[in-house]
Amino acid sequence: MGKDICVFIECKEGKIRKTSFELLTKGRELTDKLLSNLLAVLIGDNVINLAEDIRPYEEKVIIIDGEVYKDYRWDTYTDALEFITKKYSPFLIIGASTITGKDLFPRLTARIGAAFISDATGIEIIDGELKVKKPIYGGKIISWVSPKSTDKVIITFRPNSFSIEKGNRTGEVIEEKINAVPDKRMHLVNITKGQSEKVDLQEADFIICGGRGMKDPENFKILEEIADIIGARVGASRAVVDSKWRDYEDQIGKSGKTVSPKLYIGCGVSGALHHTMSMDTSKVVVAINKDPNALIFQYADYGIVDDLFNVLPALKEELMAAKKEG
Amino acid sequence: MDFTLTEQQEFFKKVIVDTVDKMIVPKAQEIDEKDEFPWDLWKEFTALGYLGLRYPEEIGGMNADKIMCMTFYEEITRGSVGFAQSVIMNILMGTYFIYRFGNDSIKERCLYPAMRGEKIATICFTEDQSGSDLGATRTTAVKDGNGWRINGTKMWITNGPICDFCTVLATTDPSKGLKALNFFLVEKGTPGFSSGQVLNKLGCRGTVTGELVFDNVWIPDENFLGDELGKGVIYVGEILDEVRLMTAAMALGIAKGAYKEGLEFARKRVAFGQPIGNYQLIREKFAEMDTLMNAARLMIYYGAWMMENNMDVRTLAAEAKMFATEVCLKVVDEVTRIYGANAFAHEYTPQRYFRDARFLLYGGGTHEVLKDFIGRNILGKL
Amino acid sequence: MNILVFVKQVADTEARILIKSDNKSLEIENKYNLNFFDEFAVEEAIRLKTKLKESKIIVCTCGGKKAIEALRTAIAMGADQAYLIDNTDMDTEDPLITAKILAGFAKKEGFDIILCGRQAIDDENGAIGPMVAEFLNIPHISAIMKLDVKDEKHMIVERDLEGARQTFEVELPALFTTQKGINEPRVPLITGVMKAMKANIPILDPLTLGFQKEELNNGASKIGVLFYETPKARPPVKIIDGETPQDKAKKLVKLLKEEAKVL
Repeated sequence: MGKDICVFIECKEGKIRKTSFELLTKGRELTDKLLSNLLAVLIGDNVINLAEDIRPYEEKVIIIDGEVYKDYRWDTYTDALEFITKKYSPFLIIGASTITGKDLFPRLTARIGAAFISDATGIEIIDGELKVKKPIYGGKIISWVSPKSTDKVIITFRPNSFSIEKGNRTGEVIEEKINAVPDKRMHLVNITKGQSEKVDLQEADFIICGGRGMKDPENFKILEEIADIIGARVGASRAVVDSKWRDYEDQIGKSGKTVSPKLYIGCGVSGALHHTMSMDTSKVVVAINKDPNALIFQYADYGIVDDLFNVLPALKEELMAAKKEG
Repeated sequence: MDFTLTEQQEFFKKVIVDTVDKMIVPKAQEIDEKDEFPWDLWKEFTALGYLGLRYPEEIGGMNADKIMCMTFYEEITRGSVGFAQSVIMNILMGTYFIYRFGNDSIKERCLYPAMRGEKIATICFTEDQSGSDLGATRTTAVKDGNGWRINGTKMWITNGPICDFCTVLATTDPSKGLKALNFFLVEKGTPGFSSGQVLNKLGCRGTVTGELVFDNVWIPDENFLGDELGKGVIYVGEILDEVRLMTAAMALGIAKGAYKEGLEFARKRVAFGQPIGNYQLIREKFAEMDTLMNAARLMIYYGAWMMENNMDVRTLAAEAKMFATEVCLKVVDEVTRIYGANAFAHEYTPQRYFRDARFLLYGGGTHEVLKDFIGRNILGKL
Repeated sequence: MNILVFVKQVADTEARILIKSDNKSLEIENKYNLNFFDEFAVEEAIRLKTKLKESKIIVCTCGGKKAIEALRTAIAMGADQAYLIDNTDMDTEDPLITAKILAGFAKKEGFDIILCGRQAIDDENGAIGPMVAEFLNIPHISAIMKLDVKDEKHMIVERDLEGARQTFEVELPALFTTQKGINEPRVPLITGVMKAMKANIPILDPLTLGFQKEELNNGASKIGVLFYETPKARPPVKIIDGETPQDKAKKLVKLLKEEAKVL
């Protein structure tokens, strides 16, 4: 096996996902250290034009294009990636710990017999040894894990684990033709697209989250308005989703999504453990709650103890003004 | 000596803890605030089958051993005392004499539906002038044709105003005191049977407690619950120890609920730059509470074990009830101190435990009466 | 029809977890549950059973003896049979090994449908389902939100993939991992609890599933824990004071811009 690293690029709505750029940035940093090549694998239908976006990051962009790859399926994608690992022999494959990543990489791991570390948030290479940071037990413990050999390693990272820096390489674009045959035993009958204009909650830089203290589904309107000003995504606590005020896809928590945005603003969120364990890796946390004893304040950098319904309109005004100033 | 629970008992405990956490704990504050019988929760919970806890499997029960019963009483009370009282009434006192003496048709009508939660049961011991002093019972039952005629008023009856049937303690001869006490079944709809005043209680809110009035109520002979007349007090003795241990377990349940809230608060609440649980004076409170609760639990489990082994548990059961209740009062008090001023606000839970705990002073015998009883058992009549 | 459900017993989210002095092992408070997402799998199996003729629900976990409790919970809910594969002397870090063992069990027991939670809430790997399916060479659909029977050989399942709802028709045998929202797991009835208390749960030695010792014990794992640490604590919260909500909002925005530099 070589020393090359391969990044699996994910697309959504015909665009490369933010999390893939994070991985490319990190991958470049690692290959710089290892004096090796960074490969990007882009699989999809009509994705060749997207190659330009990622060329600055790596040495090689491998494009696997074809109608058969239009919608993600583990069968065709595993076949494609298996082919890539055999042909290009990267020692490390990294991907995002998204729904796709969680579906694809375990299958690939079992296929090629790799060392697998999932849902990681950091990685270091020291003396050629990989050290991977992985929160476990809902973030109560950080586990540093290492593959026992650097033969074949697959690691998935949580979105928002790394920053993005555009490189100045000009990756060679290579097209691979792989005749993946969809598994006849599973047949995609239908796809209903959801609200695709929204940023993925896990990828959002800013999240404004409403809890039970929002009192009524109508009151989420102001959160949406604030979100629009700063380009945030609205999240919700379990109590809110259980009361059917918001959709399940907005749920942050043990039974929902794990997020680590640059800024998290919790509004009327009590801070129950099952919620905080899924947001406390956020860079900056703001809590707004009228109860000074709300647990959320233990996880916050900044807190406002006051009535939400007075603070939020004021906050909206201030953010609007700040935006105008630039 | 073996203090371990069997794997089965452990599992049962785990299930009941989870069930209480899932179904009851989230509703406890609301039950307390509304002070109305939680019919929805009653239907949902009783559908699981727990009301047959003590009864044989052949009749749809669970045949739980006494350790499991204590675990159940403790845990359900931890969830909500207001709710637990009604549940335990159906499980134990409200159905025991029907199970023991009812004929088939009575069992079909009362016991089995009560085990399924379709009917609400109660027992009527107390009157406005008599609680622990059963000999002072003034409700009378007089032979009348093929049945009995009952007159009197019962007070402090758990589930009373909403019950479908009740087991009534009445005297068949007021001049004979304890020796003339007997149990009778009275069902809802019987002419002359009605409910009176509903009590507005300090704690255990959610349980409907009140007055039952028997105004010339006639019941047939089959509703006499016993083998022979005058043995009512002896029959009471059959469950009195379990009732006392049960009350002790309820006390421990309240204590545990309050303790958990206190623990969470001490871990999270920051004062002077650190969680208050770091301060020695707060730690001392937990050391004290934990010690007392462990001691109470040992007494309760020991009593349950003695019952399982058919040993005489009269003194210990009374001691356990008294001790566990005092422990409970101490714990709920300490938790309100740990919580600071927040304990004084109805939005938080400590005040609920604080109020609920008071009830256990009276249920199952006042401590003054119990101490006298224990002392008499130890010293005899000198 | 054999419905297999693979479950895991995990530490309660509220259990206290301490790092032992060697920094390489953990001390976990004795509070364990059936994994949150596995409850959905058990529930779905029970619902499926009512729709399929002559089906049987077999629950299996790979864990220590204590995990029998999680299996009893599954039986209390309505599973028919349970097995514990004792992993006491095995390397438990590598999900690939666990998946291999579970696949071995599935082969031995026979199966038509395999269900499991989409991930365990302790290690958060979410790897077992797809890995087992790969070892068994059967299709899988992960994080399903709906499962319907088309006929004895085909299931219709729905799942959310990055904002889109996909519907698949899948030929059996197949594996599905369950997502929250697929159902509401039941609270066990006392009859189930009694059955569970009495249930005989066989303990299997993984070596009886056709593996060599070297494949499973220490050294077989492809990954190893270097050490554990506690996450860096956030500095104490700055409560923003001010006369009015407007003051507070103004100060907050200023801090976010100038101090935290996130705006």
